[in-house]
Amino acid sequence: MATIEQQRVGSNGAPVWQLLVWLGSLKFTLVALLLLLAVVVRALTLADGFTWWVAPPLGVLALNLLAAILVNPLFRRQLPLLLFHLSLLALIVLVGVGRMIYLKGWAEVSEGAAFDGQLVKYEAGPWHSWALDRVRFVNERFTINYAPGPRRTTTLNRVRLFDEAGGSRVQVIGDDRPLIMRGYRFYTTFNKGYAPVFQWRPDAASSPVTGDVRLPPFPGEALRQHTSWNLPGLAEPVWVQLEFDEAILAEERASVFRPPARHHLILRSGERRFEMKPGDQVRLGEAGLLSYQGLRTWMGYNVAYDWTQPWLVAAVLLAVCSLAWHMWRKYRQRSWLSSADNRG
Amino acid sequence: MEQEQLILWIALVAYVGAGCVAIFAQVMKRRPERSVLALLILGLLLHTLALALRWERLGHGPFVTMYEILSSNIWSLALIYTLASLWIRQIRPAAALVMPVLFLMMGWMMMTNPGGGLLPSTYNTVWLYIHIGFGKIFFGSVLVALGLAGVILSRALAGSTRFARMPDNVSLEELAYRFLMLGLIFDTLMLMAGAIWARDAWGRYWSWAPLESWSLMTWIFLALAIHLRLTLKPRHTVSALLVVGVFALGFLTFFGIPFITQAPHKGMV
Ligand code: HEM
Repeated sequence: MATIEQQRVGSNGAPVWQLLVWLGSLKFTLVALLLLLAVVVRALTLADGFTWWVAPPLGVLALNLLAAILVNPLFRRQLPLLLFHLSLLALIVLVGVGRMIYLKGWAEVSEGAAFDGQLVKYEAGPWHSWALDRVRFVNERFTINYAPGPRRTTTLNRVRLFDEAGGSRVQVIGDDRPLIMRGYRFYTTFNKGYAPVFQWRPDAASSPVTGDVRLPPFPGEALRQHTSWNLPGLAEPVWVQLEFDEAILAEERASVFRPPARHHLILRSGERRFEMKPGDQVRLGEAGLLSYQGLRTWMGYNVAYDWTQPWLVAAVLLAVCSLAWHMWRKYRQRSWLSSADNRG
Repeated sequence: MEQEQLILWIALVAYVGAGCVAIFAQVMKRRPERSVLALLILGLLLHTLALALRWERLGHGPFVTMYEILSSNIWSLALIYTLASLWIRQIRPAAALVMPVLFLMMGWMMMTNPGGGLLPSTYNTVWLYIHIGFGKIFFGSVLVALGLAGVILSRALAGSTRFARMPDNVSLEELAYRFLMLGLIFDTLMLMAGAIWARDAWGRYWSWAPLESWSLMTWIFLALAIHLRLTLKPRHTVSALLVVGVFALGFLTFFGIPFITQAPHKGMV
């Protein structure tokens, strides 16, 4: 039926109209859906950078749908069907917008420190309106419970959020309980570890600066608890390694992630090697003084931003309701039993 | 636990009984539909009890291990098929084709480990129940469509006298596609609930995990089947094969992919 009507409309129309009729053909829909299916099959073997593959078939589908909505008389006669397909179109558009404005990133914040708006790594759509510098929170402390194995279970991270007016409040977040601020969502992750805190004074005239050095994740890289970094005013990087004997996470019983009770650092600067415990200090370079203040932890956060989701949900709900309405209207009019069966 | 297992066994025996009576009736051209329904309802009641006892014992619903996923889906498929046959009496003989699908799942379930699993922390949400609930209605609707498509196909294969008391192929195809449309609604809702859940739990609503890709493929194929029938008006057997295709994709999504990746959602734990 649809094709007969389309041909009738098509034969009377202007060239633009005829183009629309061609673009909006239902046969085209089959091709577009097949194309989309093929591309999704491709997704099974391609993990990253896949997003752009779906763009062409979705574009074709959107074009087909738009043209059909404009020219296919079936849509004019059946409001619920029109609404359903319009919401599908809205869905495609929203998914596209989402890819333009989204952000996915990773941040690391030491215990007691404030998030400084910096991401360790990220990917973002070209239209992302950067507002991370207005997200203010402090990672106050966290507890991570481990089941025997050791297998990580719950993470409870206490964070203090600061609003524009200068007020603050505390919230406990976790792997699946995000901190949400300015549309950004922060989730704790398995990526966390230790961070020695140092105070550095390059010379007697300068005032000291305090900072922490984040070691590789623990226990993920338990055997590589070392890193190097540059101190202002020193020509060579400083290398540091954390050493301790105790097993933090047990195999046979439940345990909790925490700093070791006793530990020391090995520090190397050029040819010189030091062992440091909290409170120790060493002279580096001409007149620099580096003191070790103690061990903290750091947490790696997943950061996500995409405001399209509530609109996507609205579009889906509209789609579902209009489809139900369409079914109700269509099926109430006619029994599923064919006339032959009805006679029988 | 033993009591729970025993009740489950009796439920399965009742299901098998229902299926066997339905198949036997087809071969012998009898009308045992009431006994089939009675056995199905008995199986369902016992199965519900077994699931409830397990839920009570473990403190979480049947959606963590493969054993639990199979058991709860056998339950929901049997339930939806039973409700559909109570509502539309003409489809009752199709039990002879629907029940063997459940037999397959029962056999598989018996080969899996009935022990409990650890409930991932992300499962602590109402979206889990919404997602799973919609999914069960979706798959149940497609199962009913599959039964009707199966009747069309067996008539094509074994002669048009098969299932002689059921309506003609035109009617069966129409009804099968009405159930597919119902399936489309609930599949869409299931995807939406899953996406909301994923966004709450991980910050993003879609990530092209294998299970997500498979469920999208099922959805697209469902749309394709509905459109193909409307646009090209294929023969009944082709329409019926499309229904089988939708069911097969749904089956792989529900049970194949979790089976391969060992967890219902890869990357979840
Ligand atoms: C990808 C997503 C799509 C889905 C899920 C979808 C789904 C549906 C559904 C459920 C129906 C109702 C069938 C019935 O009443 O039995 C339908 C009908 C229809 N669709 Fe789509 N559709 C999609 C894409 C499209 C596109 C891209 C077009 C553009 C041409 C289109 C055009 C139509 C038309 C014209 C009808 C009415 C056919 C008739 O009643 O004879 N659809 N679609």
